[in-house]
Amino acid sequence: MQRKKLIFAILALLPAMGIYFWVRLIPIGETLRLSLHQWNILSKNKPFVGLDNFRELFGDPLFLESLFNTTIIAFGVLLITIPSSLFIAYLVFQRTRSRFAGFYETTLFLPHVVSLVPAAMAWKWIFDARLGPLNAALGWFGIEPKAWLFDPVLSIFCIIFLCSWQMLGYAVLIYIIGFKNLPLSLLEAASLDGASKRQAFWYVSIPLLKPITLYVSVVTLVAGFNVYAQAFILASDSQGAPGRQVRTLVLDMLENSFRNYRVGYAASEAVVLMVIVLVLTLIQFRMLREKGKSL
Amino acid sequence: MKISSIGRRQFASFALSSPLHKLLAAAGLTLLAGVAPAQAQKISIWSGYPEMAPFYQRVADQLKAKNPSLQFSIEAIPLREHEKRVALALSSGSAGALVIEMAPPTANRYLSNNLLVKAPGNVAGFVTDTKNYAPFFIQGASSGGGVFGVPLFRGQGALFYNTDMFKAAGLSKPPATMEEFSTYAEKLTKRDASGKPTVSGWSMRLSGGGQGIAEKFWINMFQYSGNLLTQGADGKWRVTVANEAGRKTLKQYLVNVHKLKVVTPEMPADADAFERGQTAMFIRESWVIGDIAQKAPKLNYATAPLPRGTIGLPTNLYVSAKGAEADASWTFAMAANEPDNLIWLLKNVGWLPNRQNVDYSPVIKSNPGFSGFVNYPKDHAFFSLPSIDPIEEILTRVASKLTAAFPKAGLADDDKAIAALLVEIENEGNAILNREGLLGK
Amino acid sequence: MNSHPVIKTTLSERCIDVFLIVLSIGMVLPLIMLVANAFKTPEEILIWPPTLFPNDPILSNFEKVLSKTPLLIWIWNSICFAVLSTLSIVMTSAVAGYVLAKFKFFGFDFLFAIILATAIIPFEVYMIPLYFQAKSLGILNSLWGLLLGYLVMSFGIFLIRQNVIQSIPDEFLEAARIDGAGEFWVFFHIVIPLLRGPLAALAVLAFFQAWTAFAWPMVVNTSKDAYTIEVGLALFQTGFTVDLGLLSAASALVLIPSVTLFVFLRRNFVQGIASTGLKE
Repeated sequence: MQRKKLIFAILALLPAMGIYFWVRLIPIGETLRLSLHQWNILSKNKPFVGLDNFRELFGDPLFLESLFNTTIIAFGVLLITIPSSLFIAYLVFQRTRSRFAGFYETTLFLPHVVSLVPAAMAWKWIFDARLGPLNAALGWFGIEPKAWLFDPVLSIFCIIFLCSWQMLGYAVLIYIIGFKNLPLSLLEAASLDGASKRQAFWYVSIPLLKPITLYVSVVTLVAGFNVYAQAFILASDSQGAPGRQVRTLVLDMLENSFRNYRVGYAASEAVVLMVIVLVLTLIQFRMLREKGKSL
Repeated sequence: MKISSIGRRQFASFALSSPLHKLLAAAGLTLLAGVAPAQAQKISIWSGYPEMAPFYQRVADQLKAKNPSLQFSIEAIPLREHEKRVALALSSGSAGALVIEMAPPTANRYLSNNLLVKAPGNVAGFVTDTKNYAPFFIQGASSGGGVFGVPLFRGQGALFYNTDMFKAAGLSKPPATMEEFSTYAEKLTKRDASGKPTVSGWSMRLSGGGQGIAEKFWINMFQYSGNLLTQGADGKWRVTVANEAGRKTLKQYLVNVHKLKVVTPEMPADADAFERGQTAMFIRESWVIGDIAQKAPKLNYATAPLPRGTIGLPTNLYVSAKGAEADASWTFAMAANEPDNLIWLLKNVGWLPNRQNVDYSPVIKSNPGFSGFVNYPKDHAFFSLPSIDPIEEILTRVASKLTAAFPKAGLADDDKAIAALLVEIENEGNAILNREGLLGK
Repeated sequence: MNSHPVIKTTLSERCIDVFLIVLSIGMVLPLIMLVANAFKTPEEILIWPPTLFPNDPILSNFEKVLSKTPLLIWIWNSICFAVLSTLSIVMTSAVAGYVLAKFKFFGFDFLFAIILATAIIPFEVYMIPLYFQAKSLGILNSLWGLLLGYLVMSFGIFLIRQNVIQSIPDEFLEAARIDGAGEFWVFFHIVIPLLRGPLAALAVLAFFQAWTAFAWPMVVNTSKDAYTIEVGLALFQTGFTVDLGLLSAASALVLIPSVTLFVFLRRNFVQGIASTGLKE
């Protein structure tokens, strides 16, 4: 019996794991290896340079700028998404039995699943200093039109806003499911003990939702650090965007690799990105993990 | 592997080794002869300027009419992406037959790695003929003693100015010196009640990523007899902005933005703004003429050469292909330089063709916008971007520092800080040159 | 007998409804505006202040887009890519998730730990070596090149494993084995049917991941005909500058499959996520 099981296990696992090795583990290893070398794509030799790439990286103003921008964007999205999705999910949960529930879920989730680029184009037009409705709407309130995509601070805000808009529906959905699965018994016990609805929400529901908050937080932060498409459309130096360029880590990495022909250098940037993401994830797990529960 | 790419000579020499082989060879050659011409040849034309697509299509259609077995696929995407795809394709060698439109600095690294095909005799003869091209362009298309590219068009900067606005401000001719640029700009700027500019007197390139800002800065610097990068006697380079020319240029930007307040980074800029009457003048390449014709045909404007000289950035057609497809590719490059096609290019797209023994006068007469580009004084000086590997990286970094500096109001009065910033820019650029072994004395 | 109790909505509930309705409309407003722009004439797009709905709707933007650009090819590319990626991910995740959950052999836990660790690592980190891998295999500019990065999903394996542990008791499987069923039979006739929900959810996740992929298709595809929608739209330019009307029309056309698919698949998605270990 055991033997049959072993044979099956290996036969079944081999193709899947084989592919996994080939398209995940080997490239990751290769990135680590390349980061210690120098390579300009076109030549055959790749000299070993040890940690030189990393040393140069941390003195490089363009990299530091990318790191700064990306960090702000990632945390900005996190700080907006978690509280607002929690709040909105709570509200939608209150109305799950109404006939609007389906409508809410659909419209809130739609931004998450539509193709990235059209959605970003829509927002690019909205934020357009000359043509966009945002400045027009602000005009009704007597606020001056602002150059949303040109201003160094505002352009980052625009990216944060776009990413949050896309992330919100997903987070709301997951929180709704979390609310639906809250054990009623605990909530009843709390109200029997005299807790008001608000207190029950803060002191019972939210702690119980920790695993969900952890999940949303990790996903949002990782997506935030990888931001590329949104920055590319809203604020890059491609022909259709004569605005300000907001440098993000992935953008800087791809530029170093395919425009400056410095693959080793770009790989070291990738390694830094990887380390940041891993460390942040670990921290979040520590902070939000409940004792004794495995995820 | 396509049959046509097997060298026929190789096949023939193999065939001479034995009678049976001879027989097989004869059969094989007949087969080859029968098969090869009938097979369609697919050549992709890669361009970094989407507005050039109709031109290449025109050339392709002409060639296809003569030889139906030729198939051309025109793929023109924005410049940055074009450069990237060229890097990826040429390094992997898997993109099929290509005619690639590139500027010499971009082509340089591929040439030094032998990734582009040398031009065959007849093409090389055509390119090196000084009746066809000025030495400047022949040089740009050659490398290490051989010809690798066929010159096509160039980007050249000149001043575009709105004649209605000039008249209204009492200005009868375009500015003749850089100092006049500033005084003109002040007169031309329209302001609202609070003094904020609503129409910029001079649309300077203050934002927008990539190296464009550095290029435009260099154009301005050139008017002050300076150069962003200078080549020494040893053939190596240095970044040279920390000098009088650099200071004057940067100061002019800052003064115009913060003191005279003729332009701000948020204002509409570039061709779009000019076409909508949101700026009185700006410096750009000739493609704007085609753009204005399309989008603002009623605009009253004129062009004028810049005070001292301008940038001339040639773009050539290079080939990456083998065998019969290489031949077809070079045929395409040559066909693109037929006088009729070049005249069509100038008229309908607006980029300036490099070939000189063609009569462009009908186009120029019917569109006086070109006069600033072709009617320049004999001593008009030209500069181009150096064909060195790290040029894009250096320009991008210079652009990044400049973009950060332009919005700083305090910098306009602070000569010391300006000087310090220019030294910083020099050091950063020179470090890169040093890294690549190109730093001169 | 029993009559439906009349559900009265309280004042607070009505307030919530008002807020949520405004919010929901706000969420989709950008998309609505995009579609509206597609119908505007070039002049109307440039007027200020911008109109919400076109005064003189035209269809020429759509005509131009469909005739001048390979938009339909892009949509087709995206669909093929997404479908194949989904199939691959579902199959590999189902198999790997099941085996790693139920078969306690040496090294399997370690294997799972590696999968978990690499699940967090963003794709962009190892995208460049993967690109050169694709190049050396000669599959750039093709569907296979696109798929190379999207054949497996670490999170998918994790999801299935969680589900198997929680919802498939060992006794089921043992009973079948005692009855003489072979391992493959057990897998196909017991495990897969029980995993229907999570597999459907995973399929939807995988589909949208491939559908909205940006960086990888951007790097891998350099030929216009091989673009996916995202890349094609991002590089959309047919003249000196970007024509807003055409771009909006192209974007609007692309939104149609996205929205339709989602409206149909929403139930699956929600149910699937609900059936994962997240409820713990």
